[in-house]
Amino acid sequence: MSSETNGAAERFAIGISFGNSSSSIARLNPEGKAEVIANEEGDRQIPTALSYIDGEEYHGTQAKAQLIRNSQNTVAYFRDYLGKDFKSIDATPCHNSAHPQQHEDTVAFTIRDTTSETPSTVTVSEIATRHLRRLKQSASDYLGKEVNAAVITVPTDFNDAQREALIASANAAGLEVLQLIHEPVAAVLAYDARPEAVVTDKLTVVADLGGTRSDASVIACRGGMYTILATAHDYELGGATLDKIVIDHFAKEFIKKHKTDPRENARGLAKLKLEGEATKRALSLGTNATLSIESLTDGIDYGSTINRTRYELLSGKVFAQFTGLIEQVVKKAGLDVLDIDEVIFAGGTSHTPKIAQLARNIFSEKTAILAPSTFTAAINPSELAPRGAAIQASLIQEFDKEDIEQSIHPVVTATPHLQNAIGVEVTSGDAVDFKALLHVETALPARRLAQFAAPKEGGDVLIRVCEGAREIKVTKPEPKPKEEKTEADEDDSDFSDSDDEEEETREIVWKTEKPIAELAVKGVKAGSKVELMIHVDADLGLQITAREVGGQSAVRGAVEAPKA
Amino acid sequence: PALPSGWSAEKDFKAVGTLSGATQRNLEAVGPFFLAHARRKRHGRTFSEDERI
Repeated sequence: MSSETNGAAERFAIGISFGNSSSSIARLNPEGKAEVIANEEGDRQIPTALSYIDGEEYHGTQAKAQLIRNSQNTVAYFRDYLGKDFKSIDATPCHNSAHPQQHEDTVAFTIRDTTSETPSTVTVSEIATRHLRRLKQSASDYLGKEVNAAVITVPTDFNDAQREALIASANAAGLEVLQLIHEPVAAVLAYDARPEAVVTDKLTVVADLGGTRSDASVIACRGGMYTILATAHDYELGGATLDKIVIDHFAKEFIKKHKTDPRENARGLAKLKLEGEATKRALSLGTNATLSIESLTDGIDYGSTINRTRYELLSGKVFAQFTGLIEQVVKKAGLDVLDIDEVIFAGGTSHTPKIAQLARNIFSEKTAILAPSTFTAAINPSELAPRGAAIQASLIQEFDKEDIEQSIHPVVTATPHLQNAIGVEVTSGDAVDFKALLHVETALPARRLAQFAAPKEGGDVLIRVCEGAREIKVTKPEPKPKEEKTEADEDDSDFSDSDDEEEETREIVWKTEKPIAELAVKGVKAGSKVELMIHVDADLGLQITAREVGGQSAVRGAVEAPKA
Repeated sequence: PALPSGWSAEKDFKAVGTLSGATQRNLEAVGPFFLAHARRKRHGRTFSEDERI
């Protein structure tokens, strides 16, 4: 026991996001803020690539550059192959690097990673271990202290075999995996851990737009706890799809000038890919970007520019696929776009300004779109996952291993969530409104405290606690009287009329479903407030307390749990 | 809150219904609020007990 606690004390943990295209390392700095660590080359987004020349190992950007001259001994895009058998993988992303192949029941690469002439077969697990070892080394060098533990982010659709394979690879690299957390949840945590953030009940969509795949998920945030309601994945959509548009554009231009297609030459294509990606990145920051490649094909140097408008025009279809994925996940969760309070854009491709702007049009004005182009205080989308992982790592690094395991497993799965919102009826004038206090999908047990203004004249107050349901009310604008039109301007007004009619207003209205309890608070002073506390147990029993703010006596009562 | 008219109940409280059920879902084991929740659950504490410690 004592040796275990000693081990925990010496633990030094970081957050790692391990992606197919790039990986990042982060830690909590002494001021308590999450900070992404740059490697020795100065990269914060470290390409997930390894390359070998004469037995020497290159990593990150250096390895990625080897895709041109030394593609056969360069391994990239391997994260999703971990813990999988060869038949179930999609080898497309590895077309221009070392090809994955079957090796026993796992995936392996044949590369010359030693000085000897004969190539060796290296399993994907071993590749991941080497990659993680380099990440660990970079973090240790920067922090001046041996890093020996980590929280690693994984996609929501990672199965148990993939999780186990990742943990085994990390252990082999000398990293104790404290916990694997889901990428979208890490992104939400990165935002919620900012000092200015307030814990609220909200529904968040995380759009994680990566290099070779994109994921979207709907997360219910209730009292700072997160529940994933739905996820959607697209394994072919990502930054690479956009790179291809840029590449094709420049290739066509090149063909016009020189009558040869640089894409038919493997090295030419590799050069175009590398530079095309850089050009696309530049277009996320500026409205103009250049591309210049020495000896693209047949020894011809090539240089050209592209502006953002042109790029956005060419990419319109792909952008629509990204927003389509977001709409799809909202639908999958059984929700309406009006229900969404916040959209977090994560992943490298989220830097693209147009995608966030298109999302802005889908959602209502109340919905916060957290992307660099729509929100000035947005966190760099590429850094959300590693930051979230670093925050979680700092929270649990003091715990015993046993403690972490116990907290993670049985507790998580056994949590009932509210099926209906609980709130109170509020009268304003003649109308009776419903105000939700505990929202749908709140994890139990939970409690909420709220204050309501008492009627102006004071007196006795009745509080009705009820279950409520939200409905979407669609109001079509009343058709304009057609008589007013004069014949002369009929064409004109017809046009504007049809425009107006299509625009219906949709809003959320609350309906009281079922009364739960009634409380009376007597003798409330004029203009004061009534405070209400509702506590819901895991078995759906309720305790309700109401009192006048500043008052002495409180009305309290309990509602029994429903009989099964 | 609404004004009552001729309303009375024992101790000013009247239970008129029960909640209509819950769905079992998995929480994400992430963040300080979850860790507090896990702590309460493992030790069988209530909110107010947890605050006192």
